[in-house]
Amino acid sequence: MPFKRYVEIGRVALVNYGKDYGKLVVIVDVIDQNRALVDSPDMVRSQMNFKRLSLTDIKIEINRVPKKKTLIMAMEKADVKNKWENSSWGRRLTVQKRRAALNDFDRFKLMLAKIKKAGIVRQELAKLKKTA
Amino acid sequence: MKTILSSESMDIPDGVKIKINARIIEVEGPRGKLTRNFKHLNLDFQLIKDEEGKRKLKIDGWFGSRKTSAAIRTALSHVGNLITGVTKGYRYKMRFVYAHFPINASITSSNTAIEIRNFLGEKKVRKVDMLEGVSILRSEKVKDELILDGNDIELVSRSAALINQKCHVKNKDIRKFLDGIYVSEKGTVVEEHQ
Repeated sequence: MPFKRYVEIGRVALVNYGKDYGKLVVIVDVIDQNRALVDSPDMVRSQMNFKRLSLTDIKIEINRVPKKKTLIMAMEKADVKNKWENSSWGRRLTVQKRRAALNDFDRFKLMLAKIKKAGIVRQELAKLKKTA
Repeated sequence: MKTILSSESMDIPDGVKIKINARIIEVEGPRGKLTRNFKHLNLDFQLIKDEEGKRKLKIDGWFGSRKTSAAIRTALSHVGNLITGVTKGYRYKMRFVYAHFPINASITSSNTAIEIRNFLGEKKVRKVDMLEGVSILRSEKVKDELILDGNDIELVSRSAALINQKCHVKNKDIRKFLDGIYVSEKGTVVEEHQ
């Protein structure tokens, strides 16, 4: 029940609104009650409102406002990319992106695969019901 | 200005069982069980164990103004009152004060109501029902004294106030007509012998 993800220097957050939607950024400094200075290897260091950020569980070890090189080294050391991609949140996002990028033929293939899977599951269930 | 985090904690003595769920606090102890709802406060209530293993109740207030941060300590005090109510109970003593007309009080219906007659010589009979969980009796050894016992301090003190308010003097100079039933002592049922 108490809060576990705190806004602190080094907290990794996901941008959920605006031009950089979907990017993982690191909180590098806190400007005031509502805004933070965020930075990421592929963007210019800029300020963002906390309402545009969703905090993640990942935290890296940096000092206040590090140089870009130091930031990139710290992110490599903490292995942010892999931790994110293996986390359930990160996996869910990749699945959502994949689903949104399907074309009609892909959706057709998906439908066939679902039907096949449901058929197999139902067969096994019937077998189990018979023996029970 | 908004204070980012203000928090305070208090010790919970052994012998009481505390349950906190969604800002509703239940305290259970040797004298019974009390519940209190703090949903009107926007605070985080947590039960934690500190280094030596003692149980503590911690209350957090995030981004609070002066008034909302002040509610943290009052919530702790309320929980403290619940705990002492459930371990020691509350005993409020009231004394009759009269100059000429003796106040005639009789306790009715198994110690849960009191009837007051002859207050200032009036014919009106005043009946006061005690609130739930509060019992009233006339003290044996002391003349003209009432004892109210209960677990919940709010209910006991409110019952005492109801008795007091029923015996207000009307249309007279109250500096001269000092009759009434006044709270003389606020204490606990189980005494601590120092």
